Amino acid sequence: MIDFSRVQKELQECIKDIEASGIKVTPKGDNLSRLVGTIPGPIGTPYEGGTFQLDITLPDAYPFQPPKVQFTTKVWHPNISSQSGAICLDILKDQWSPALTLKTALLSVQALLSAPEPNDPQDAVVAQQYHRDYQTFVNTARYWTEAFAKTSSLGVEEKVKKLVEMGFPEPIVRSTLEAVGGDENLALEKLCSS
Amino acid sequence: MDGGFSSDEGCYSSDCESLDGLENDEPGLNWSSSKGPSTRVIRKESLLAEQKGVLQRVMDVLSLREHHARALLIHYRWDREKLLSVFGEKGKPYLFNDAGIPDVDEQGKDSSATSSIEMCDICMEEVSGSEATRMDCGHCFCNNCWTEHFIVKINEGQSRRIRCMAHKCNATCDDSIVSTLVRRRHPDLAEKFDRFLLESYIEDNKMVKWCPSAPHCGNAICVDEDEFCEVECSCGLQFCFSCLSEAHSPCSCSMWDLWTKKCRDESETVNWITVHTKPCPKCHKPVEKNGGCNLVSCICGQAFCWLCGGATGRDHTWSSIAGHSCGRYKEDQEKKAERAKRDLYRYMHYHSRYKGHLDSFKLENKLRETIQEKVSISENNSTLRDFSWVTNGLYRLFRSRRVLLYSYPFAFYMFGEELFKDEMTDEDRELKQHLFEDQQQQLEQSIERLSKFLEEPFDQYDEKKVMDIRMRVIDLSVTTDDLCRKMYQCIENDLLGSLQLGTHIIAPYLSKGIERASELVTCLSTQVDGSEKFLSSDFSKADDSGCSSRKRARKESHLFDLNMPAEVTDRKCGF
Repeated sequence: MIDFSRVQKELQECIKDIEASGIKVTPKGDNLSRLVGTIPGPIGTPYEGGTFQLDITLPDAYPFQPPKVQFTTKVWHPNISSQSGAICLDILKDQWSPALTLKTALLSVQALLSAPEPNDPQDAVVAQQYHRDYQTFVNTARYWTEAFAKTSSLGVEEKVKKLVEMGFPEPIVRSTLEAVGGDENLALEKLCSS
Repeated sequence: MDGGFSSDEGCYSSDCESLDGLENDEPGLNWSSSKGPSTRVIRKESLLAEQKGVLQRVMDVLSLREHHARALLIHYRWDREKLLSVFGEKGKPYLFNDAGIPDVDEQGKDSSATSSIEMCDICMEEVSGSEATRMDCGHCFCNNCWTEHFIVKINEGQSRRIRCMAHKCNATCDDSIVSTLVRRRHPDLAEKFDRFLLESYIEDNKMVKWCPSAPHCGNAICVDEDEFCEVECSCGLQFCFSCLSEAHSPCSCSMWDLWTKKCRDESETVNWITVHTKPCPKCHKPVEKNGGCNLVSCICGQAFCWLCGGATGRDHTWSSIAGHSCGRYKEDQEKKAERAKRDLYRYMHYHSRYKGHLDSFKLENKLRETIQEKVSISENNSTLRDFSWVTNGLYRLFRSRRVLLYSYPFAFYMFGEELFKDEMTDEDRELKQHLFEDQQQQLEQSIERLSKFLEEPFDQYDEKKVMDIRMRVIDLSVTTDDLCRKMYQCIENDLLGSLQLGTHIIAPYLSKGIERASELVTCLSTQVDGSEKFLSSDFSKADDSGCSSRKRARKESHLFDLNMPAEVTDRKCGF
């Protein structure tokens, strides 16, 4: 049985210092076992300016078992799967302690964004790029932040403009982008194949 | 033997007195004082005592509390020597830190005497001090949260090392607190936890293994020094301690593993295959001729002549195969076909010897009853009273037959190409093989003669003839024992001992047969190292039966015990 009174307290705690941390945790429905977390991309990293959403599922034995945390926003990072958003972070696995909270867990995820561990990768492709061609890694990470982690409509407009410039008709570009969830590459792929 | 006995007892009691001291920390002293068996049975009931004994010693040396000693020992896989050497080399702080033990001697004892209200950082509630528990590391949380934490960890199978709930605190929780708190909510889970800790002594310990008997007898066996040995559990099962399969020396564990696999795969079919098939000259698979002419084609596509086994073309008439004549000599093909055939024959040769002796071994086991009958008839009818030579001869027969039996798979691998192709030159191999086979042959002859004399109907003979048989059986027993020992020596020194590339270790030869693990009855003051494992009750039992062997004490009911020391009577008779 999840300790809901503790989860309640954690949520209140989060709201209290949202100004300082920028970390937000909100329930997904009326059930407190599914939550949505939001972290700002750390300043001075390719993730700066982005807002990243995470899906949080609390196991029955929470807080004695770690919460299941996964990015829903696409991130280009050696320790985060570019496909599924799965995170490789020790405190979300065997180093979890019941004394940690959702807020501290998300702070650790944020710290992971600033300090990647390419030697213990979740996504081998990203880690390889990080090692072999750091500049390209930074560019890709920044590009993904621009493309997926910015909720402003400007991001979408830019993508539309880019694709239209490639010669695709605007209405189709818009509908395709929408269909693939704003992923520019996927949209391009789809546009080319249709 | 009697002298050795009383000295054993003397050692035992002196050990008891100095239990809390360190004087008997030197295993060398104890080793020299007696040749006690180096293997012991640990029963379900004695496991606790056994574990407590080791714990006590570590607690004494390092002046620790029990749960700290247990955490340390679990961390070091119950290797007390290793633990103490790390302590000696790197000191207490390193040792403790490594195993997650807070380096505190004084702190933590005032756990209940803290403030009356505690804030639990886990459930974020305030609880009264009596509802909270402080661990040795200084972290305090409410009992409810501790209990939840323990339950989750026990269910995750991490009973052996439950960490404190505080983030980055490496400390191991006090197992008595774990047990007490969990018991309040889930008594059965607390049982499970206690059992996990107890069984850690067996499962995390390379010198202790569960007896592989099925259904399980509940016992574990502990060896003192050499893990390459063969033991007999008190349930009667004899096994190789190293690989837990049947006792198989002079075969090494890996040889035995290969052999049993090979036998499983091949033995049933080998006979049929050799009678009904020929190996394909290309892929060497056995091919069955299912009618038709002498042209056979294998599934690999190769056609060959059934008569000579040579590769051929596919065109044929009833009387001839195109492009093929059995008279023509083709060295290459012949060699390949020969090799496949040779490999199979080689295996069959060793297997049939192995199987033959295995069958004899089983048949001779039945001899027990008939011989027992003959002995009792003779004891009644004859003036000769002592027929122990018969039983001793019989044990010698069993034991040496066993050695001979396993020497065939050994030879199969030792002189084959599978394991040691690059270990020796062909000449070297041939030389060694001859040497070994000579010994094997001698042993075989002596065993067969022993078997023949034991089967004689001596209960119907007159005394003179019985005395004659007696002399021969005794003679042969000694010779056979010698030959077995020599064979082991040859294997250990000249054959396996000279290997460069791999290591194969076999259990040592014991003239008395596989050692029966001694039994610890139950005593909290168990000695763990050294060799004094006996309790006075064990001895008195041995005394009662009037038997000079401690091993025999438990098997009085069994007239024929494979492990009865034969040399007692063997040597009585002039050797």
